[in-house]
Amino acid sequence: MRGWLKLSNSLVDKFLSNREGSASRNFFLSALWWSLWGMSAGLLAGLEFSMPDLVHNVPQLAMPHLRMFHVNAVAIGWLSMGYVGSMFHMVPTLCKTKLWSERLGNFTMWAWNVMMVGAFCTLLNGNTEGREYAELGALLDVIVMIGLVTVAWNIYMTIVTRRVKKLYVSLWYFLGSLFWFPLVYIIGQRTFVSLPGLNDAIIGWFYGHNILGMWFTTVGVGMMYFLLPRLTGAPLYSHGLSMLGFWGIALFYAPTGTHHILQSPVPEWLKAIAVISSIFLLVPVFTVLTNFFMTMKGKWGMVVTDMPLRFAVTSSMFYLVTCVQGPFQATRWVNWYLHFTQWVVGHAHLALLGTFSFILTSAFYYSMPRLTGRQWHSQGLIRAHYWLKFLGFLLMMTSLTIAGLVQSAGWHHGVPVDQWVIELVPYWFLRSISGIMIVTGQFIFAYNTYKTLYTPIVVVAPAAKPKEVKV
Amino acid sequence: MYGYRLGAIGIVITFFTIIFSTVLMPMVLFQPKPSHHGNDYSTETVGDATRGRRIYIREGCFYCHTQFTRLQDRGYGPLVQAGDYVYETPHQLGTARTGPDLTNEGGRFPSQWQKAHLVQPRAVKPGSIMPSFSYLSDEDMNDLVAYIQSLGNKRIPEHYVEAPAEYTDTTPAGQALLARRHVDTKATASANAGRGIYTQNCAACHGLDGRGNGPNSITLEKKPANFTRPFYKQYSDEMWFYRTSEGVAGTRMPRWNQILTEEQRWYVVAYLKTLQKDAEETVDKLEDVEKVEQIKLPALTHEEYEPHTGGGE
Repeated sequence: MRGWLKLSNSLVDKFLSNREGSASRNFFLSALWWSLWGMSAGLLAGLEFSMPDLVHNVPQLAMPHLRMFHVNAVAIGWLSMGYVGSMFHMVPTLCKTKLWSERLGNFTMWAWNVMMVGAFCTLLNGNTEGREYAELGALLDVIVMIGLVTVAWNIYMTIVTRRVKKLYVSLWYFLGSLFWFPLVYIIGQRTFVSLPGLNDAIIGWFYGHNILGMWFTTVGVGMMYFLLPRLTGAPLYSHGLSMLGFWGIALFYAPTGTHHILQSPVPEWLKAIAVISSIFLLVPVFTVLTNFFMTMKGKWGMVVTDMPLRFAVTSSMFYLVTCVQGPFQATRWVNWYLHFTQWVVGHAHLALLGTFSFILTSAFYYSMPRLTGRQWHSQGLIRAHYWLKFLGFLLMMTSLTIAGLVQSAGWHHGVPVDQWVIELVPYWFLRSISGIMIVTGQFIFAYNTYKTLYTPIVVVAPAAKPKEVKV
Repeated sequence: MYGYRLGAIGIVITFFTIIFSTVLMPMVLFQPKPSHHGNDYSTETVGDATRGRRIYIREGCFYCHTQFTRLQDRGYGPLVQAGDYVYETPHQLGTARTGPDLTNEGGRFPSQWQKAHLVQPRAVKPGSIMPSFSYLSDEDMNDLVAYIQSLGNKRIPEHYVEAPAEYTDTTPAGQALLARRHVDTKATASANAGRGIYTQNCAACHGLDGRGNGPNSITLEKKPANFTRPFYKQYSDEMWFYRTSEGVAGTRMPRWNQILTEEQRWYVVAYLKTLQKDAEETVDKLEDVEKVEQIKLPALTHEEYEPHTGGGE
């Protein structure tokens, strides 16, 4: 009896560890693991644009199935798990306390991973709900909800037990996101309801845009607010501006979803709300970025040597481009021309890969040594990762944007699809190359992490000076 | 905690206001009535179209194919209305058009063609990048084809593609163009004049009988238009003139306004309007494709060749 108890206790300790920082570390590593799968799926799907007959007769590797898995693996797996890992590290740091429950955090981590295995098994077989960004089946949705609620509970309780009176702006963003996103997720799934087609689309895009707006953006910006002052050692430029930015996002982001279906027969007033709030989003974006860039004043040179800072600054630059592009293409007449094209795919990658994947990578490189007490195995590999991802992404963005302009010109002039599709071949090819670069970078990242965490630390005795060697 | 109570209440109220206005209000205020132009899945005989819709979803077709026509989409068939989608859930409006729009795809191609296209898209559409769905079972494929064939089957076209505004009488440029025009495009003499110009300039690709099988067509990747299609009967004079003047982007069809005078182009229009038949004359046998048309000049009098240089009354 006692032996069993001991065994179960040791199993609990092993799988639901109570060690400080273990939940954050495990979330980071799971995120990295799923990023490898998700990005590889994206790469293979991209290759199939260049070589449509690359894979034949394997339903699991058909482009649409790969695409579903790619989107879910990078959004729910890589970015969301990484975000939770970052919050589990940053919130206790900002509150000068410990995470409320490492055990609960590790439980969430296992639930989330089980959900991702489920996603892998179902999505590649086409077991989907047929709703973009909400493809996961009912059971998996429930597990995601359990995960989000336990994470929110854990973070809220950590903040309640904080030892610092004032809440830093990052905490505002994290708390807001953990209130918004579970609600957005529940509303967006539509698993148990069957709405008429266009109402389905309205709610679908409310969700599809707010998974970005009330989760990826808000947590990502909170992480930038944490990382930039930490990495540069400079105080935040203005607390007032940061509050203005926060309330701007809270007010203007959530109603923008309908700008994805501006030319469909949905009510005009809803489109008007979406377009106007999309344009208003420029206000929080410029306040947030002014704050970042003023904080960086006099510290720009540090990006040469400080790799996490370089990732963070690149991310904020891409954030500027994304958020100027977004309101621009949400206006009716630009949307009229650009909608449905690869330009939009480029824009989506600019937000999720360029901005939020970069800030998550920065947080990963920043947090991992602090969580495990180990220094990065190789700075050179971090540089390789940066350049492969950065240049690869620029290539992807350029090729997709040009491809999108070719497509929209094709429609605008009434040219049939099978005529302009031939013109896109070079851009698919460039996109494949960019995918290879990005995925290579990510594998280098994973290798570096593996070497950092799983190589025994060898203490090398200082070499004897030649003079002291007696011959 | 006390200092943040107001902020927390603010966030909750803001967010619920937004949910109320953009999620709940559309549910209450926007309830389109069925328009009777939505897709009818019950009439197809190829397979079970309702089941085909589930396969369409399972295979993720909506990632590349959209199902709504927009005002600016030319030649995509009738525009959709809100009532068309009442029974469509989950919606398949789509997210990007990497492939063509499928709103009114039903009936555009024979079912056998659709099936061949699913098995190997590049066999019937060279240059296509659609993945092959050869792994679908025969039943799945029939049902999917039945679904595709039922798309838009209740939407009847009433308005066709029209020339841009600068060619119609709604703009000053168009009015000036029409005022300059003195060729009667319904007259046989004009058509005969156009035939001469057509034979010299167009027949090399479009063929002498306008079937799109001129000698050059063999080498062209994008085949020239077949003017015998009944579809072209609804083309207005302005539409013909626009096409002839500005060419077709993405094909070898040139901008004839660089080569022919306005008067000559109107004569060509007069001739093109005589070519449509009640049923399309297709070159569907391999021997016919490879057979180059004999060049035979039409038998016309001297006056009929050149009426625009005088001679006629």
